[in-house]
Amino acid sequence: MSNTNTVISVKGLTKAYKKEQVLKSLDWQVSQGDIVGLLGKNGAGKSTLIKSLLNITDIDSGTITIFDQAHQQLSAASKGRIGYVPQENDEISWLSVDDLIKFRKQFYYQWSDDKVTELIACWNIDSKKTLAELSPGQVQRVLIILALAPMPDLIFFDEPAAALDPGARREFLKEIVSLASTENITIIFSTHIVSDLERVANKVAILEQGKICYFDDLDTTKENVVQLTMRHREEVNIDVPNVLRCKKYHQGQSCIVSKVEHNWLAQMKKQGIEISVNPMGLEDIFLELTA
Amino acid sequence: MDQFTISPSSGMPIYKQLFDQIERMVLNGYFAVGEQLPSVRQVATSLEVNPMTVSKAYGLLEERGYLTRLRGKGMVVAQRNEVVSQQEKFTMLNKMIAELLSQAQQMGVNENEIIALVTACTAKHRQNNSENKE
Repeated sequence: MSNTNTVISVKGLTKAYKKEQVLKSLDWQVSQGDIVGLLGKNGAGKSTLIKSLLNITDIDSGTITIFDQAHQQLSAASKGRIGYVPQENDEISWLSVDDLIKFRKQFYYQWSDDKVTELIACWNIDSKKTLAELSPGQVQRVLIILALAPMPDLIFFDEPAAALDPGARREFLKEIVSLASTENITIIFSTHIVSDLERVANKVAILEQGKICYFDDLDTTKENVVQLTMRHREEVNIDVPNVLRCKKYHQGQSCIVSKVEHNWLAQMKKQGIEISVNPMGLEDIFLELTA
Repeated sequence: MDQFTISPSSGMPIYKQLFDQIERMVLNGYFAVGEQLPSVRQVATSLEVNPMTVSKAYGLLEERGYLTRLRGKGMVVAQRNEVVSQQEKFTMLNKMIAELLSQAQQMGVNENEIIALVTACTAKHRQNNSENKE
């Protein structure tokens, strides 16, 4: 099952908080080089999934393999290849940014001072200030800098854009684009802001009811999940393949499908039924797939 | 460098949007034969999109013969056969006309009415052109 370029492999991951079952026998495989947008409604368990992968949260059952090693026995070298930007700041808030950077640097084999200097300048961070003195948006940028400094090749961002204003969000996305140019880097970022991932992700995963219920190329997703509008005079029953939802009108019907069948479209056309194919934005697709 | 525009939230994949734009720009001569296109990285940075998306569009354009990869120069507009590019122009126009027809059909406008509209439009267009020349 595990091929050489699988970076993350999850089997049967289960996790509950008290009585609430958050992850239910979740299976997932992420390949090297993928930029994955992890979508899910609030409370779907995105953070729990990421923390489980990082072994920050104990799991109830299942296996997680990262870089072909069990996630609980990851070597120090492998850990050094992973970057993580948490949703909430858990850094020492009374240290100045400069000191915090020095402190964190000690734990890594690899650390790019250039990257740190570049990002601090680019994001206008006053590194003499402590985290407690910075705005939430600035704190989040510091966390991003801390995660990128060791030049990781697997990066997790948990709702990275949540505390950023639109301008800062664009700057952050630019940084991801530039990261994505690095060969073989793998990025997973969770978000509920769908438009954030449309520019940068090449894969989209949807976490719903404790499972990765959808995982595919973003482009393929946009090409597959479409709305079909059919016009026909009489009441005819048309069997629409891969249908998610249908609405009937007196002059036809409108359906959303999870995968449009081109052979079927051609066949319908021969029978004189005009069908127009309307693409949908990712936000609508997400809502339809989780409806 | 903002010669391309994309709409990320559109239902059309970004690589497809780029492909269509560049195809049009090659066919209408915006990019001349032999002209170098901006690098994948340049386009990705300026549009703030994943470089893989740009590579995918370029790759497809190369496959279709619009672009060719030159060593040390990146992607340049390929020399094309006249007959083929004429055919491609017609194919593209055909696609646009088909779209117009299906829209018209949805609005309940019939064939004869469309032909009349096109004729009227052509006359107006010709008149505008001759006025501009004077």
